[in-house]
Amino acid sequence: MRAALAIAGVELRRFLRDRSNIFFVFIFPLLLVLVIGSQFGGGGGNGRVAIAGSDTGLRSAVTAALKDDGVTVTLTSADVVRELLSRGRSDVGVFISPDAATAFDAGDDVVLETVTGSQQGTAAVLQRVRTAVGGLLATKGQVTALAGAGVAEPEAGAALAAASASVTRPSLEVVDIDRIAQEFSGLGMFDLGAAGETLLFVFLASLAGSSTLIQTRRLGVMARTLAAPVSTRQAIAGQALGRLTIAVFQGAYIMLATAVLFRVSWGNLWLSLLVLATFSAVAAGAAMLIGSLIDNDGAAGGIGVGLGLVLAAMGGCMLPLELFPATLRTIAHITPHAWAYDAFAKIRRHDAGLVDILPQLGVLAAMAAVLLVVGTWTLRRSMARAI
Amino acid sequence: MTASDLRQRVRDRSVVIFGLVVPLALMFVFNLTIGSTDDLALEPITVSASVPAGDQLAATLVSALAQVDAFAITVDEVPADEARSQVRSGKAQLAVVVPDGFGEAVQRGGPAVVDVTEGEGSGIETQIALSVMQGVLDHLSASAVVVNAGLQSGVAPDQLGALAQQAGAATPTVTLTEGKASTEQLSTSGALVAGQAGLFLLFTVGFGVLGLVAEREQGTMARLRSMPMRPGLIVAAKGLVSYILGVVATTVLLTVGARFFEVSFGSPVAVAALVLCAVAAATSLMFIIARVARTAEQASVAQSILALVLGVAGGAFFPLTATGLAGRLLDLNPIAAFTRGLGITSGGGGLMDIGVPVVIMLGFAVVGLAVSRLVPGRGREL
Repeated sequence: MRAALAIAGVELRRFLRDRSNIFFVFIFPLLLVLVIGSQFGGGGGNGRVAIAGSDTGLRSAVTAALKDDGVTVTLTSADVVRELLSRGRSDVGVFISPDAATAFDAGDDVVLETVTGSQQGTAAVLQRVRTAVGGLLATKGQVTALAGAGVAEPEAGAALAAASASVTRPSLEVVDIDRIAQEFSGLGMFDLGAAGETLLFVFLASLAGSSTLIQTRRLGVMARTLAAPVSTRQAIAGQALGRLTIAVFQGAYIMLATAVLFRVSWGNLWLSLLVLATFSAVAAGAAMLIGSLIDNDGAAGGIGVGLGLVLAAMGGCMLPLELFPATLRTIAHITPHAWAYDAFAKIRRHDAGLVDILPQLGVLAAMAAVLLVVGTWTLRRSMARAI
Repeated sequence: MTASDLRQRVRDRSVVIFGLVVPLALMFVFNLTIGSTDDLALEPITVSASVPAGDQLAATLVSALAQVDAFAITVDEVPADEARSQVRSGKAQLAVVVPDGFGEAVQRGGPAVVDVTEGEGSGIETQIALSVMQGVLDHLSASAVVVNAGLQSGVAPDQLGALAQQAGAATPTVTLTEGKASTEQLSTSGALVAGQAGLFLLFTVGFGVLGLVAEREQGTMARLRSMPMRPGLIVAAKGLVSYILGVVATTVLLTVGARFFEVSFGSPVAVAALVLCAVAAATSLMFIIARVARTAEQASVAQSILALVLGVAGGAFFPLTATGLAGRLLDLNPIAAFTRGLGITSGGGGLMDIGVPVVIMLGFAVVGLAVSRLVPGRGREL
């Protein structure tokens, strides 16, 4: 065991010494979590509206009504509004003409030109705009009606203000029993991305690391190790442990960094680490298999990166599994990523205990066992062949 | 020289793996997962509503739903507990339960809360329905305010109903007219195909120019330079290899992607122009790396980092939206410009409409080549 641990230690040191890994292991994952979190996490759920027109009472009123409804408002020129719409950077554009602004000030009927973007969800945002502007001139009508009933204008204004304060507005109390909304409720801005990114990078780092195994074989390191009083079994165990150490190291680093920097909650830490370790064993087995089947480290790197990305996309690390169509969700579970994703989701969102995630851990352990056994066998065979 | 290099690259399977196999596999998987969410048509929905008998205002609230014309809303009037269970069982997408005494409470200006339950798969349609109901509630609230104000100002109680109606009638309307926007956006599938093609272009073009670094390391560079030809020719040949590989790979990816995922990129001439400019920009980037990197390994790491950063920022994995300064910075990215250009052509734009992306990519290429000439080389002379 000591020999195996020593080899594993050397592998981890080699991995950390490779300066190219500094970016891919330490910086890039966090960068992605940050970007994905700021793109999709929280905020701006009620759409984006761009308003064109000079600074008038109408523009201020429309802006205030939309902001009250939680819509993100951008004030800019007509050309920019059209560009934002055509590029999908805004949902609805509102063009306020001078005529409309004048009509608003005079208390006449107002016509606003709107243009909707072509992406999903714009119809709902347009309806929000319609609802928001619908009540803009209500006060005007109220004053007119009161005047008709013989109430003088200043007095009517004061009475309306007092009435507004005393009237409780009827409201909608919305309960969402949608499975997806329930799943994601209460997740922080970076939480959803962090689990997927962790799995993606653990697997990617492992597979890309398979090229060092090829170099180890090519440079005769393997042969030299065996010349020492070390058995083949110890040498291979050392290699497997080395891959596992690297994978766990990468995953634990992302978990720690996201927890500290982005306040990502990982639920029960020991259970999350257990899931990570089991998943890392799968990654280590896959890396050993690639590293001993392929003799060209360039090709191994390419296949590793490609496979890492494809499996991650299939397993819900880029688009959450919950959003997959049902059949595809089933197919997704050929990847270890999907099982680990489910386990993380149970721990983090439903406070699951060890018993609840046993099925996922069992599948991952079985995958790891198969890959490690096959990987060991191919590595043993590869040592006997010229490279 | 170019021909022999090209032969070598094609024999070395990494070009095929990185340039074609990996991006196609990714496109396929992404399309399976993300492309399936791309459905813009509004579907009809069913709303189970429970309305207290004889409550005029509650009836108004629900009947407003049936007047939505963008898509059909079927209103199903049922008892309260049944409304929620219909949503749970998926028979209805929305349950609206108006409490007893709703109308009276609204008129008094007292608190009135309408219970709404959103069901499985609720989407844009339920959002619209909620917004419509919110509009009705706003209107009812306005009536309550004017009645209340009338009471305080001494309007006779028998005139209060008429007062609310007059207020409604006297309110100037704000109407929306809908104009058309030109669209310069690719569909979800199209954006994925374009983004992946752009991302992997940055890997593919490395196989030519970065060969300079490898030749330098292996010592074959010195031998090439001893031949009776201008040293510039060696660099030009490597650049040409990159360019040809890039153009071929990107063309294949766009063609296969368009065929498989039913994406139309529009005018072939304009698309070809975009591909040529994008490859030029990517190749110029490789010259900078070749100049700065000491070893082949350093070069390939620098290339991967740049490719991934530019690829992610260019929307290869998910569309990035930013406005203001961040948006301007993102626009300068050649991958983003390439995707945007394809968006314009797919929207029916021709050669004349893709000026901005073309200028960005060519500008990037010129600046890149200039920088690669000006930075001090860290390897030996190229």
